[in-house]
Amino acid sequence: MEAFSENIIRAAGYIMPLLAVWILVRCVRSMLREKYEPEVWAYLETKGGETAAIRHWECIIGAAKSCDIVISRDSVARTQAALIRSDRGDWTLHDLDSSGSCCVGKQRDEGHGISLHDGAQVNIADVELVFHDLSEKQRAAVDSARSAPGLLISPGLTLLALTVFQALLALLFTVSLEREQLLTAVLGFAALAVTQWCYYFVMRAIDRSGFEVETLAFFLSTLGLAVVTTCAPDDMLKQLILLLSGIFVFLALGWWLRDLKRTKAMRWPVAAAALAFLALNLVAGKTSYGASNWLSIGGVTLQPSEFVKMAYVYVGAASLDRLFRLRNLFGFIAFSAICVGALALMGDFGAALIFFVTFLVIAFMRSGSFATVFLAVAGAVLGVLLVLTVKPYIAQRFATWRHVWDDPLGAGWQQTRGLSAAASGGLFGVGAGNGWLKSVFAADTDMVFCLICEELGLIIGLCAVFAVIVLAFFTVRSAARGRSAFYVIAACAATSMMMVQLALNVFGSVDLLPFTGVTFPFVSKGGSSLISCWGLLAFIKAADTRQRASFSVRRLSDHDGEGAEA
Amino acid sequence: MKRVKSRATAALIIAALVIAGCVVYVIEFLDNGPRWVMYSANQSVYKNGVLTTGTVTDRNGTLLARAQDGVYFYAEDADTRISCLHAAGDFAGNIGTGALTAFADTLAGYSPVSGVSKQGGTLTLSIDAALNRTAYAALAGRSGAVLLMDYKTGEILCMASAPSYDPNTGFDSADSRYEGVYLNRCLSASYTPGSVFKLVTLAAAIENIDDLYERSFYCTGSENISGVGVKCTGVHGYQTVEQALANSCNCAFAQISLELGADTLAQYAEKLGFTEALELDGIEIKTGSFEKAAAGSADLAWSGIGQYTDLVCPYAMLRYTAAIAGGGEVAGPTLLHGKAAGTTRILSLDTAEKIASMMSYNVVYSYGEWNFPGLKLCAKSGTAERGDGTSNAWFTGFLDDAEHPYAFCVVIESGGGGLANAGALANTLLQAAVAGN
Repeated sequence: MEAFSENIIRAAGYIMPLLAVWILVRCVRSMLREKYEPEVWAYLETKGGETAAIRHWECIIGAAKSCDIVISRDSVARTQAALIRSDRGDWTLHDLDSSGSCCVGKQRDEGHGISLHDGAQVNIADVELVFHDLSEKQRAAVDSARSAPGLLISPGLTLLALTVFQALLALLFTVSLEREQLLTAVLGFAALAVTQWCYYFVMRAIDRSGFEVETLAFFLSTLGLAVVTTCAPDDMLKQLILLLSGIFVFLALGWWLRDLKRTKAMRWPVAAAALAFLALNLVAGKTSYGASNWLSIGGVTLQPSEFVKMAYVYVGAASLDRLFRLRNLFGFIAFSAICVGALALMGDFGAALIFFVTFLVIAFMRSGSFATVFLAVAGAVLGVLLVLTVKPYIAQRFATWRHVWDDPLGAGWQQTRGLSAAASGGLFGVGAGNGWLKSVFAADTDMVFCLICEELGLIIGLCAVFAVIVLAFFTVRSAARGRSAFYVIAACAATSMMMVQLALNVFGSVDLLPFTGVTFPFVSKGGSSLISCWGLLAFIKAADTRQRASFSVRRLSDHDGEGAEA
Repeated sequence: MKRVKSRATAALIIAALVIAGCVVYVIEFLDNGPRWVMYSANQSVYKNGVLTTGTVTDRNGTLLARAQDGVYFYAEDADTRISCLHAAGDFAGNIGTGALTAFADTLAGYSPVSGVSKQGGTLTLSIDAALNRTAYAALAGRSGAVLLMDYKTGEILCMASAPSYDPNTGFDSADSRYEGVYLNRCLSASYTPGSVFKLVTLAAAIENIDDLYERSFYCTGSENISGVGVKCTGVHGYQTVEQALANSCNCAFAQISLELGADTLAQYAEKLGFTEALELDGIEIKTGSFEKAAAGSADLAWSGIGQYTDLVCPYAMLRYTAAIAGGGEVAGPTLLHGKAAGTTRILSLDTAEKIASMMSYNVVYSYGEWNFPGLKLCAKSGTAERGDGTSNAWFTGFLDDAEHPYAFCVVIESGGGGLANAGALANTLLQAAVAGN
């Protein structure tokens, strides 16, 4: 009997990495194989009867190839006009060329755009076009002809694979855990499985069938739960509550993002709240291990910078009025500078770096200018040099970088142990709960990649990294069909933020980058980070405009009484 | 929107960098994984600095040491435990060159695929525990080093170092007989070589003195060099170079050394592995020394005779002897049974054959074949003055026998005459090796 159960456990150790790979492959395949057919919102018709579909809420018309609607005429400027749909469904034409060569009927753009109605006569330079707005009924007809996700690669099966993965993980823990802790662990994994299936059925009930993003997040959260089980089994309940809070934030923010108008209306209040939060942190923050990035409110400790991440993406994307307008960019730059500065003051160098790279992504996506990015990088390098001279403990981390084996008993303590433990795991790990790295400081946060590699093996460790990367590919792919620049920029910023955080965590722990002590998205133990990651996921979910894919994208047939469509 | 779309690929640049980072990590993992795993803080491998898993056996499967879940065992019988101690090592890690320490990565059973194995790995040494017991018994309480290898396969069959102790009972550290007991004298000690070093001077002479074989070396029992007398072991009169080696004539080799000069001698000492940093399966070997003495000085003469400040590690002498036996090429050497050992050429075939035939002549002409019944022996003895009135007894050589291709090197500290003491021990060992095979 003992030999039998031993064999089962050994087999589980080999099956789990395969399952992890399979889950990832299914998510990738679903992403690659599903057709991403764009939505259609209106048409432009030429005199000759040719039509061009308008597929986004913001379309650029001009002679340049990069325009959404290309008119190859000498008389038309490279970027001539913008066609913009408001959240209420009204269309306006904005002349981007100051010569005033665009008009609707006889009306010219006075700087606020010219409103368009169905059948309007649009003149772009000497080209005459007719604008056809689609009625709600027509749009619904076009929409239902698009293919929905989940038909080729069943999301239920992927989720089932994940459930088996969770069950095997719980089984592996039976070997290493004490009886009391084992019960908590098994209940914890069961609760996670129940949560994900509840989520699945609720989404199916409201007719949503895209689950790739959530499956990846649930996969990573499973590993997070394994980390808690092995490092601090008594914190299981707390971690579950935090996970549920994260999912709640995900749902709430996703629902909020459905309405672009209200989203944009709240941008400055959100920015103000973020700054206030950071200011409070600066004033009342607790210092722990060099960085004073903790705040203790009524017995609950939290890391404000994690919540500010969500606000930062929100503000960064929402403060863009419309394309080719720079006005709010400076407001955003000021906001970014304050955020990064505040984090640097707190000594949270890792978070400052994450914000900075996210700033670069948002700035580039908004301006399209590499020059801006280079300027920003140059400015940042100077800033970093300043920080290094002011904060000796950060300078020391740079000195240790790539030299951890020179000082395994000092500055390289964590990384050398991390590498040693991670290598001991090989491809399949020493078994859940069987490792020793958990006794090393910050094994469940900063060193979490090494911990996973040690106990579950390099394959699952890399799968965790790739899960985040797949999220990024997914985001970029759905970006092509985004309704509005807001969703695309927010989703890309959110995924970039996660990847930078991932890179700093993973490569910091294995000494490929300086050790900055940031968290692994979804996996590291810690509530603020977990909640913020689920929050960021909402931005990615809101950019998925496939037919019936995302709860955070309002469908044409949805009448949820928010008045925007009415 | 199209522009924002294409700018979205900025996020993919970050993704590409992360993937590149993963590739770098995986390469480092494959490359350095074994080193990372063997870091002393790794609790999957060590407990209180001691290996927790692994088995060491001799070439016939005789258990030498085993660890299981932190419980340690050594060989069953005391003679094996004592005679194989330095080869197998100890769990306390006192014997730094022992297999338990030197091959800890194999014993940890590490592979990049399966990581550290729970059962631990098994390491089969090339050592034959029976030969080690014979050698240790033959040392009969004297300190020294005994090495025997198969010069065809490169496997070391016997490696015994004395003094030794029973790892199950330990030893009395106050007892002066146990001084340096942790040292494997085969690999980590160096001794004044005395006349065995003439084999090095001889190699240089064969390749650098064109008319060496036509020469006649005259010995009056002492050679006066710059006013200092270099004493010989006897009065040998006129001799050919073969006779000079067989007589181990100091006068002849003093003349040869002066003629070759310090640079040439130093160059050969290095080329033949005596002053170069050698490794045996990754175990660092004690590097010998050869100091260049002034041209025309008695010191230079003595340095070519294996005195002056010359120091040689027994392993280096074994390796050189094996190269002579192997036609100039040395196979291995290795301590790992079944390991495909590469070969290294350190001498030309012609030189090796010439030296081999002279070593054979030594036995016939000088040492007496009756002392080595049934063995096709080629050898060189050495009686190296330690400067305290005693001499280290050296005997190095090989069997010119395809069925028993053994090379050996025996050193007995303060053991007296080379032939009488180290030679006798070598005979005992060789008889056992030939009989056992």
